[in-house]
Amino acid sequence: MRRTMAVLFLWMVALAPTLLWAQADQKPAQPAPPEPAFKVGDTAPDFTMYDQNRQQVKLSSFRGKKNVALAFVVFAFTGG
Amino acid sequence: MKAFQQNLEKLEAADTQVLGVSMDSTFSNAAWAKDMGVNFPILSDWGGDVTKQFGIYNPGYKAARRTTFLIDKDGKIVEIKVDREAVDPTAIVTSCERRKLKG
Repeated sequence: MRRTMAVLFLWMVALAPTLLWAQADQKPAQPAPPEPAFKVGDTAPDFTMYDQNRQQVKLSSFRGKKNVALAFVVFAFTGG
Repeated sequence: MKAFQQNLEKLEAADTQVLGVSMDSTFSNAAWAKDMGVNFPILSDWGGDVTKQFGIYNPGYKAARRTTFLIDKDGKIVEIKVDREAVDPTAIVTSCERRKLKG
């Protein structure tokens, strides 16, 4: 009886890492983040959007005058 | 965005306009800009059309991936930074200053 218990115990110890590993593997896979549709060297598509003062801003209006740092954020009121 | 505000003088000196984009309403963006003390335009991409066109709409969050595109005076994309790298404007500032020197 004691021997059987000891063998069982050893089995459990031996299997524990496998079980943990299997559990870790079951985490839901995060979908891959979206990759930018453009690469360096591509021409940016033009757009017109409203700024916080309800003024229209058109990307192509900066053409020949200024570089544009276009910073997309996740949500307003979040860091970064 | 605050980091861009802190670097605004350097960016302006290097002929660069900063434009923030968020999928929130103009009202939300106005409140946020005021809260952050930001005085460059924060554009409202309500509906996400522009975000989708640039390929960075994340359906999991129903929002954009944090991405900064630097577009030169010819309208060409010259730098793309995502996530953590997009938050820190240092690389963008350096790139703009280099462009200014080259003329």
